[in-house]
Amino acid sequence: MTHCTIVDLLAFKENEASAWARQHVETCPACRAELEVLYQRIAALKALPVRRPARDRWPAVRDTLRVEQRRQRRRWGAWSLSAAAGIALLLLIRPGPAGRVDAAELERVKQQSATLEAELERYDPDQRVTSGRTAALAAALEDRIAIIDGELAQVGMPEAPVRGAELVKLWQERVDAMQQLMTVHVTRANYVGL
Amino acid sequence: MTISLAVPDILVARARAGDLEALEALYRAFETPVYNLALRMLRTPEDAEDVLQETFLEVVRSIKQYRGEGHLWGWIKRIAASKALMRIRRNQVRVTEQFDEEAVGVHAGHADAATGHEGPGAVAGAPARIDLERAFERLSETSRSVVWLHDVEGYTHEEIAELMGKTVSFSKSQLARAHARLRRMLDAEGAAP
Repeated sequence: MTHCTIVDLLAFKENEASAWARQHVETCPACRAELEVLYQRIAALKALPVRRPARDRWPAVRDTLRVEQRRQRRRWGAWSLSAAAGIALLLLIRPGPAGRVDAAELERVKQQSATLEAELERYDPDQRVTSGRTAALAAALEDRIAIIDGELAQVGMPEAPVRGAELVKLWQERVDAMQQLMTVHVTRANYVGL
Repeated sequence: MTISLAVPDILVARARAGDLEALEALYRAFETPVYNLALRMLRTPEDAEDVLQETFLEVVRSIKQYRGEGHLWGWIKRIAASKALMRIRRNQVRVTEQFDEEAVGVHAGHADAATGHEGPGAVAGAPARIDLERAFERLSETSRSVVWLHDVEGYTHEEIAELMGKTVSFSKSQLARAHARLRRMLDAEGAAP
């Protein structure tokens, strides 16, 4: 005697069974029993116990969100920062008593900063799972970078007293902070093997 | 699984406005169901926790795009299922199927196909939860995902096919194979159903 296959029974459950399968289930006690087993198995799957995560992942989600919000704000301010930096450079390379700064050195650290910024973009930490500790470290560094950016924007204002060495020092501090931020992300990634 | 998944509209509105407390409240409301869904689809609790984190990162990033059409849990569940399936695709590079493929179309699992007699414990007795859970865990991640999404979460084969980037036939055959394997494993253990 030919019985229904599991495919037939699953189709029967969804009212998609063939005419033969429908008729067979009506007349075959074994297939009706098998259909009942299928229903019971699905009911038992639905009744499996609820499992809860061992660790709370919200702190990591929250910290990553904060980092992203800070980064977003930093991006919004980036255009004004680069405009201010351009003005500052113009003022610095002007001959005058305020003193000269090595324009080449300034360009070098600015370029370094831009390269690190691009590397961080490529690394895309937002798309990676991160621990709460990593996110907190990253957040602290993001804050530091935001403060430096604020100071750089001030230094770049035409009315600000421009001190060349200070400007280079600020950009260098920004580079250092960016390097530390990369290290935090990459070290974490290496540690978990991502 | 009996967990209340209803959240007040005002909470969703606050979350959409970026209120961190409201976002945390949403996380607390859906943490367990998301983790459960991921755990049933994936192999390890660690993977499931990672999917939980990835899901909520996506939720907090894109909650503004949630227009309130349909239940919030349906929206979050789809994100979670999608993240879990992405992880399965990554895992498949290094994980081999635990069981040989079984031809679809074999008899449904009657113990004696020749006579049509019922298998041991076919309908009698209460479902053996621990045995079923263990058997379910031994399925491949793909099979588990299809079974869970279809039989427990109520997804249609069309929806599963779309999520997985596969055909409807693929989803149906995965479901049939998985049930045949479950039946066989439970029979071997003398457990029901």
